[in-house]
Amino acid sequence: MAAQAFFTENRRLWLGLCSILFLVVSWEFVLTYIFPVDPFFFTKPSLIGAALKEQVQGGKLWHDLAVSSQAFLWGFTFAVIVGIPVGLVMGWRKRVEYSLDPFLTALYASPLVALAPLFIIVFGVGVLGKAALVFLLAIFPFIFNTFAGVKSTDALLINVIRSFGGTEKDLYLKVILPSTMPYIIAGARIAIGRGLVGIIVGEFYAASEGIGFAISQAGDTYRLPDMFVGIIILSLIAIILTELMRRLELTLAPWRATQEVR
Amino acid sequence: MKAKRIFAEHESLIFGTGFIVLLLVLWESIPLWYTLPRGMALFFTTPSRITAAFYQLLLDGTIEKHFYVSAVAFLAGLGLSIIVGLPLGLLMGRSATLEQLLDPYVTAANATPRIVFLPLLILWFGIGIWSKILIVFAGAVFPLLINTYVGVKNVNRVLVNVVRSFGANEWQVMKIVVLPNSVPYIIAGLRLAIGRAILGVVVGEFFGSSHGLGYMIASAATNYKIDVVFVGVAIFMAMSVSLTLAIKQLESRLAVWRPEAAKSF
Repeated sequence: MAAQAFFTENRRLWLGLCSILFLVVSWEFVLTYIFPVDPFFFTKPSLIGAALKEQVQGGKLWHDLAVSSQAFLWGFTFAVIVGIPVGLVMGWRKRVEYSLDPFLTALYASPLVALAPLFIIVFGVGVLGKAALVFLLAIFPFIFNTFAGVKSTDALLINVIRSFGGTEKDLYLKVILPSTMPYIIAGARIAIGRGLVGIIVGEFYAASEGIGFAISQAGDTYRLPDMFVGIIILSLIAIILTELMRRLELTLAPWRATQEVR
Repeated sequence: MKAKRIFAEHESLIFGTGFIVLLLVLWESIPLWYTLPRGMALFFTTPSRITAAFYQLLLDGTIEKHFYVSAVAFLAGLGLSIIVGLPLGLLMGRSATLEQLLDPYVTAANATPRIVFLPLLILWFGIGIWSKILIVFAGAVFPLLINTYVGVKNVNRVLVNVVRSFGANEWQVMKIVVLPNSVPYIIAGLRLAIGRAILGVVVGEFFGSSHGLGYMIASAATNYKIDVVFVGVAIFMAMSVSLTLAIKQLESRLAVWRPEAAKSF
C-alpha cells in the first residue's frame, strides 16, 4: 500500500495539517452556525480572508511591511556590525571579558524594552527610534554567541596558525571567525525574535505607519479581521525567518542540531 | 607582593565591578565637562539624580503601589503558565500523537513574538489586570512547555523499560523516571519564562493601563521625567537579574548532570 506508507512516513506532516485544518473549519463553523459571531468582539476565518485580500490588493499591507522592515533592517545590521566584533574581542582578550561580562550579562537579562518610551521620545517616532530599539535588543545575542563561539575554538588550530607565523589578523580571519560562525547564526535566530519585539513595541507605542501600528490601530477601532491579518502576517514572517536561520544552522554545523533546546 | 596576589586572584571581580563603576562615574561627570544644549538636557539625567528620584518615590509610596500591581500580574501569569505548561509539556513528551497534533501551534506560537497579541487581549479582557496576566502567560508558557517536552523526550529509554519491566504503570513511570529526569530542563525553561514574563509585564503596562511600574515608566516618559523612567527601568533590571541569578543557583545545585545545551539564555 503506497498510500499507507506515505501516511506513516509523513505522519508528523499530515497530523499537523489536519489539526490546523480542523481548527480553521471548526472556528468558522461554530461562529457561523452555533454562536453567530459578534463582529465587535470576535471574527472568523472567512472575514479574515476577505480583509487579507483587501489589504493585499489595496497595497496597504506592502506599505506597512516596507516601513517596518526598514527600521528592522537598520537596527539589525548595526547589531551585527557592532555585536560580532565586541564578542570576538571579549572572547579573545581575558581582561576585556572580565570587564564587560558582568555589565553586559546584566543588560542581557533585563527587559531593555522598558526603555522603549525613552527611545521614542528621544529619537522620534520615525525609523530612527525603532531602529535604535531593535539595535539595543538584538545586539546581545550577537555579542554573547560570538563570545561563546570564540571560547570554544579549537586550541590546536590556533597553535597551528601561531607556529606558521600567522599574525593576529590571520588568527581572527582564518580560525576564530569561521569556527564561530555557527554560534553567530544561532545568535541571529534569537536576535530576530528580540528585534521583532522591538519593532512591535516601538510601533505600538508611537507610530503612524508600520505593521505594529496597523495591528494596534485595528484593535483601537474594533476592526478585528484587520487585526488578525496583521497578527497572522507577523507570525508568518517570524516563523519563516526563524526557520531559515535553523536551516542555515543545520547546513553550517550539523553536529549542533541534535542538542537543540529552544 | 601580597597586593599583587590578591589582584591576580580576584582579577575578574576587580575588572567587572571596576568597569561598571567607571561607567557610572563617567556618566555622572558628563555635565562637568560638557554643557548639553537645552534640547538634549531635557532627555538627560545622571545616576545621582536617578538615585534621588528613587529615594523620593520610595518615601512617598509610589514605587510600593506600582510594584505591587506589577508583581501580582507577574506572579499570576507565571503561575498560570506553570499550571498549564508543565502538564501539557509532559503529555506532549509522552504521547507522539498529541505532540504531532499540537506541534504546529507550539512552533508557530514560539517563533512569534507574543507581544503582538496584546491589542487583542486588551480588546477582549479590558485594560485591567486580566489582559496583563494573560500576556505574561502567553509569553511564559511556551519556554516552559517546550523545555519540559524536551526534558521528557531526553529520558533514558533503558530506565523507562526497566521500570516498566517491574510492572510500573504510566503514572509510576512518570513519577519515578520522567519527572526527576526533566527537572533540570524545567528549571532552565523557568529561567527563560521569567524573562518573558517580565517583558510581558513591562509592555502590558505600557498600553492602556493606569497602574504598575510599566505605566510609571510610560507616563514619566510622556512628561519628560527621565529620572523616573530610569528608576523604573532599574527596578525591572534588578528584578530580572536577581531572579535569573537565583534560578541559576538552583540550576547548578539541582543538577550536575544537566546538559550544556540547556544553559543558553
